[in-house]
Amino acid sequence: MRQLASQPVERSVELANCPPGPVGLEPGASQAQATTAWPAPLDVHPNPWNEQDLARRLCHVLDIAQQAVKRLAPNGYTDSVEPGNNVRPEKVISETALLLVAASGAAEHDDVRAHVEKVAQLLIFHARSERMLLGACLEPALALDFAQAHVCLHRLGYHDPAFDKLLRKSLHSQARFGHERVPHRMLEQEWLMNGCKRPRPSSLKRTPRAALNSVLNHPMDLLNGSRDDIYAFTHALIYATDFNLYPHRLPREKAVILAEAEVALARCLDEQDYDLAAEVLLAWPLTGKSWSAAAAFGFQVLARVEDEAGFLPAPSTRLERLNSLQGSERRAYLLATAYHTVYVMGLLCAAALQPGRTPPLEISTRGVRNGSASAILQFLELDDRKAHWRVDFDRLKDRERDAIAGLLLNIALRRKAVQRDFGALHKLLEIAYVLGLAGTPAASQAAELLERVASVSRWSAPRSV
Amino acid sequence: MSARVNHQDVVKRLLDTKAVDFAAVGKAVAEFGPSLSLADEPWEGFCGTMRTFFHCFIINPGLGGTTVESLGALRGAAGELQS
Repeated sequence: MRQLASQPVERSVELANCPPGPVGLEPGASQAQATTAWPAPLDVHPNPWNEQDLARRLCHVLDIAQQAVKRLAPNGYTDSVEPGNNVRPEKVISETALLLVAASGAAEHDDVRAHVEKVAQLLIFHARSERMLLGACLEPALALDFAQAHVCLHRLGYHDPAFDKLLRKSLHSQARFGHERVPHRMLEQEWLMNGCKRPRPSSLKRTPRAALNSVLNHPMDLLNGSRDDIYAFTHALIYATDFNLYPHRLPREKAVILAEAEVALARCLDEQDYDLAAEVLLAWPLTGKSWSAAAAFGFQVLARVEDEAGFLPAPSTRLERLNSLQGSERRAYLLATAYHTVYVMGLLCAAALQPGRTPPLEISTRGVRNGSASAILQFLELDDRKAHWRVDFDRLKDRERDAIAGLLLNIALRRKAVQRDFGALHKLLEIAYVLGLAGTPAASQAAELLERVASVSRWSAPRSV
Repeated sequence: MSARVNHQDVVKRLLDTKAVDFAAVGKAVAEFGPSLSLADEPWEGFCGTMRTFFHCFIINPGLGGTTVESLGALRGAAGELQS
């Protein structure tokens, strides 16, 4: 990280009590990995990833980040036709900074480090602009929100004592805690505070207080929960683990958390919600070194979709609208609607580039029961629905399909719960029990749901007479 | 048993009173909806208070998703993200 800090930066002065750079960024730590350019259109990799390929994907994301900073950081994006596409400049700036912190964990790759430096140089001006300074000054309860990019850059070695001084004033003000936050947002605040100083090893052994109140410590509503609930989960995990740079102890066992992540992943893949799918997939590299069969398959789907589209797409990018625009308007629309999901793929690749965290190319088939997949698949084929994952599934060998029968079960349980098809839900649980797949949090919640529905049925029947 | 009231009748009677102006409700939701949907914590956002004015339950929302555009067609625009 000293290397990054040695670049000419705005008011760059070494601070006392600043955190060390992420491991592996010091000069000499480089593996001199050369990454290649993004493949030409339709040059889709048949067998997509290894460490070098993940670095290439991350650099591609960082290239797009340069454009996002140039075009969106000054004024954001305002869409008069679809206000849902509006992007505040603070959001782009903060998310870019977060991406850089995540990418710094893979900076032993020369290309990644060079890309991080380029984007950071562009970001400094916006992260410490008058707008951000005034925001931190006038709204002390939101000071860390305005200072997020500044704090991230500080972690990367780009210091600014003047901004620090103002931030300290705001953080010592009476109104500092004047904004009430949900637990994962409280974790974000703790994470930012930790970014201002070197974390003590002993502090990493404890679970952050906010994490105890978060969904990391309580089961999600896996069948009927909202997207926001999954966001709360993924964000809490990101902040508690600090992209594996300074990970805290989690409030529950990793296996329990990953079992719930697997259910959320199933839903996101089935709904082609790749922004959230990539965030959920972070759970594996951020908590341990092994990827479950379902997680490995999930990464396979995302990598293939990214290869085919040229970026990991979101539903917000509409081609009809895009094709109605020209020039800078067109590029701004494309960036504004696409950049976030693109960034999340970058976060995932950065996490997967950490030593031993690369997702396996082959899906493990250990302990697989033959015929499991087809038994569950019959429930899915009743729905007129073809998500991208099905293409990848059809390419798997029979044993690999059976290895992800649990993922299929999670997809089916979610679908039937949403459709309120309680009869099918019951049948699914029976089959899952026979196949030895019922010991999952989604199956358990489905059983509870059926029990409640039965109670309601008994309770309401006499009243409707 | 004879004292029971069919809840549909109750609802119909209430609707017939025209006590709820659904057009006005729709107008208010249309005005506040876009900004609320973009707010960080929309469930606490109405009029800036903690009070819940409306509960909207989606009893059977159906399956979401499947709205990502054709991957091949998106590929045509991918290069523009970097230029």
